Amino acid sequence: MKPLFTQLILLLSLCSFPLTAATKVEDIQSFTLKNGMKVIVLEDHSIPNANMYLFWKVGSRNEVPGITGLSHFFEHMMFNGAKKFGPKMFDRTMEAAGGSNNAYTTENSTVYSNWFPASALETIFILEADRIEHLSISESMLNSERNVVSSERTTGLENSNFRAIAEEVKATAFRAHPYSWSVIGHASDIENWNLEDLKQYHKTYYAPNNAIVVIAGDVKVEQVKKLAQKYFASIPAQPAPKAVRTIEPKQKGERRVYVEKKSVTTPNIMMAYHIPETKHQDYYALDILANILSSGDSSRLKNTLINTQQTASRVFTYMPDSIDPNLFYIYAVAAKDVSALKLEKAIIYELNQIIKHGVSKDELQKVKNRKTVDFHRTMSTIDGKADTLGSYELYFGNYQTLFSASQKYQQVTIEDIQNVAKTYLIKSNRTVGVLASQKDSSNDDL
Amino acid sequence: MTIYKQFLILVLSAICLPSLAAYKLPDYEKVTLDNGLTVYLMVQSEVPLIDMSLVVKTGAVNDNKLAGLARLTAENIAFGTQKLTKSQLDEKLDFIGASFYSNANLEFSKLAASFSSKDQLPVMKLMRDMLLTPRFEQAEFDKYKKRHLLNLEQNKESPKSVIYSYFNRLVFGESGYGSAILGNANTVKSITLDKVKSHYKKWYQPSNSAVIIVGDFEIQQMKAQINAMFGQWEDQKVLIKTPVRAVDKFTQAEVLLVNKEDAIETTFVIGGKGIARDNPDRVGINVINTILGARFTSWLNDALRVNAGLTYGARSRFYSYSKGGSFSIYTFTKTATTIEAVDLALSTYQKLFEKGIDEKTLASAKAYVKGQFPPKFETSTQLSALLGNMFGYGFNESYIDTFEQQVNSLDIEKTKQLINQYFPKENLQFVLIGKADAIRDKVAKYGTVEELNIKSIGYSAH
Repeated sequence: MKPLFTQLILLLSLCSFPLTAATKVEDIQSFTLKNGMKVIVLEDHSIPNANMYLFWKVGSRNEVPGITGLSHFFEHMMFNGAKKFGPKMFDRTMEAAGGSNNAYTTENSTVYSNWFPASALETIFILEADRIEHLSISESMLNSERNVVSSERTTGLENSNFRAIAEEVKATAFRAHPYSWSVIGHASDIENWNLEDLKQYHKTYYAPNNAIVVIAGDVKVEQVKKLAQKYFASIPAQPAPKAVRTIEPKQKGERRVYVEKKSVTTPNIMMAYHIPETKHQDYYALDILANILSSGDSSRLKNTLINTQQTASRVFTYMPDSIDPNLFYIYAVAAKDVSALKLEKAIIYELNQIIKHGVSKDELQKVKNRKTVDFHRTMSTIDGKADTLGSYELYFGNYQTLFSASQKYQQVTIEDIQNVAKTYLIKSNRTVGVLASQKDSSNDDL
Repeated sequence: MTIYKQFLILVLSAICLPSLAAYKLPDYEKVTLDNGLTVYLMVQSEVPLIDMSLVVKTGAVNDNKLAGLARLTAENIAFGTQKLTKSQLDEKLDFIGASFYSNANLEFSKLAASFSSKDQLPVMKLMRDMLLTPRFEQAEFDKYKKRHLLNLEQNKESPKSVIYSYFNRLVFGESGYGSAILGNANTVKSITLDKVKSHYKKWYQPSNSAVIIVGDFEIQQMKAQINAMFGQWEDQKVLIKTPVRAVDKFTQAEVLLVNKEDAIETTFVIGGKGIARDNPDRVGINVINTILGARFTSWLNDALRVNAGLTYGARSRFYSYSKGGSFSIYTFTKTATTIEAVDLALSTYQKLFEKGIDEKTLASAKAYVKGQFPPKFETSTQLSALLGNMFGYGFNESYIDTFEQQVNSLDIEKTKQLINQYFPKENLQFVLIGKADAIRDKVAKYGTVEELNIKSIGYSAH
């Protein structure tokens, strides 16, 4: 939004920038370099800062057994030295120029973000170009970073019950597709992948034709074009990465998994239903359904399970954006003295209510209203703008979809919601995971 | 070498041209109504949203023997008004896409909402009704209390979630800033709805409160609305606040070892006395702390993560309140490398006293904190939180408005003085959460060890 910079107010008013206008699709410019790299630019002069997001179309879906977790590991290795900037110099140079950075890896993408004072824009281009074209992967950095990632994996499992159970549920729901393993990968793969694996991965996936770059903030489109041409255009394109061939076979019956973790207080339950990819026509109805179930204290599951019945202490849904067909998750933590089974039945009862009777007009309208306000929340920072534009470009095929999303949500009907519930939220399509403190074995076992 | 020169030029230009973009807090109006209520109004119009906060100066420091009372009071205020049940209220706020929360920290309680500017009037009325005429229904209180008791147990599943509760208790003692904001199983069990009502009656008074509105609204109309909505609210009686005890320097190093039976790593915090929010040297101290442990290339992260591969991350921080604060180093490592990691954290910290900071590192940190400053105050929500902190912790915008100037004036001599004056050097306090059997014998070298189980009630061995 608009913290005022005393010197800048005057300049802005002289140039008659629309200070109060919300972002429109026309405010965004994009161009594609000769090597296939797409660049999206949004000028926003509200603060003297800018960002650069690089979306690489590579995630755990591009891995195979033996190199699980490599996409995420690569996210780490990209900070460990290139040709002009040796080990540690990427971060040191960026921070000395007033910038900071981070990165995240998902099942579908690896995303790097740089946040900096706009005056450092060229430095950021130089830093990124160097590591994209000339990443230098040394054996010693590989081994040191391996331990860092092991610690990241361990701390996730130690502190998050969700992480502990999600790993098992994914492995059970998917028996063929690479969404089967966690983004961080198997412990044994983290310990054993080698230099050659990494070099090949970088060449294949960190090619300019496999990237989307988004820049938002106090920059000029012409200036960005010039810098992109100067620093990114000469990076050679590579053959397109191999398509992910495996299609997950249809699930024909319920699957179940149990995990023991001693420190768990009350049982945690994760239910996962196969659903189509984000580009599928059912996406909007499913997203609204997820919100009807658990967005806000008045939502179906929160109101019924936590407030009225007191069977759950926590409940939420999660539907990740996805290139291939993925999962619709429902996660709940039991209330005191409530068994996993009782909680599971309570959730299924609520889902069946929607399958049988649909949702109300008000429930649907509530989510549509929320989507409109959330859009403004997302667009209130340069960071939110860049991340969202890139995500839409990646998952929906073009960033313009962001500006028609509100209309797409408005078109969803009560019948659409009931239909997707009937189609996907059914027993034969689900995997149920339970995480609890009890041992799963006893002397009376069959 | 070319690159290195460019890097120097960038740093120099950041130093030479600070006045061009010197950050000032956006203009806002602060008025006090006749009943003593403080009102902050700041217009921000990029997106059609408004943030409204109601801040009351009471928090866990006033809980005395009933730890958790301020938090339970703040949460229960949101469970319906005299006109609306909890479910009806939730439904109204959810329907228009408003997001809402209420909570209490050590020093103040807060109800906060973010909503579409077109819903300004209805949301403000709901907020007023929660604050002035809360429902305080027994059934909702009972349900909440049960959930809260379970929540206290669940938090202990994650060492990260609770390690600072143990650390604060160790550094500040049982009362004051050592108070457990969420309470513990024993104190929460003895909190009744009547006690919540008395707490509300005592502390929720206009002269002890502020209304903060930031976002897309018309200022004259807003003033009239606030006057009409809150002008009739009256003080009940004179408040007597619990004095917060100042922290003395520690006379011995202490180690609190918290056993978590199924731990696969050790999480630890090392630290001591810090500074208050209004400390005039806060900006300079934060620049030094940036070098030590508050950015990726910081000494702690570089030593423990990048060089040694012992952890995913290591950092240091100052938590500051109105009359004091703490300094701490925080990280985690697999059980087998616990001692190696603690030793490395300590030897890295000692470099601050032994070697001090060089010109190049200082220049980099100064550019970094200035470059990262503007996005901290970009949205209405961020600005509303800032004004809430100013009211609740009692500091003013000079911290914001003179930030760049203070950063620029920091030199090597001054860093030496600040390090010696504010960073605790001796008798450090340790909290380690992990598998006690595996590390018990080895941690005695750091200080007097006390041990307890993570599942034990509360955050102290006493």
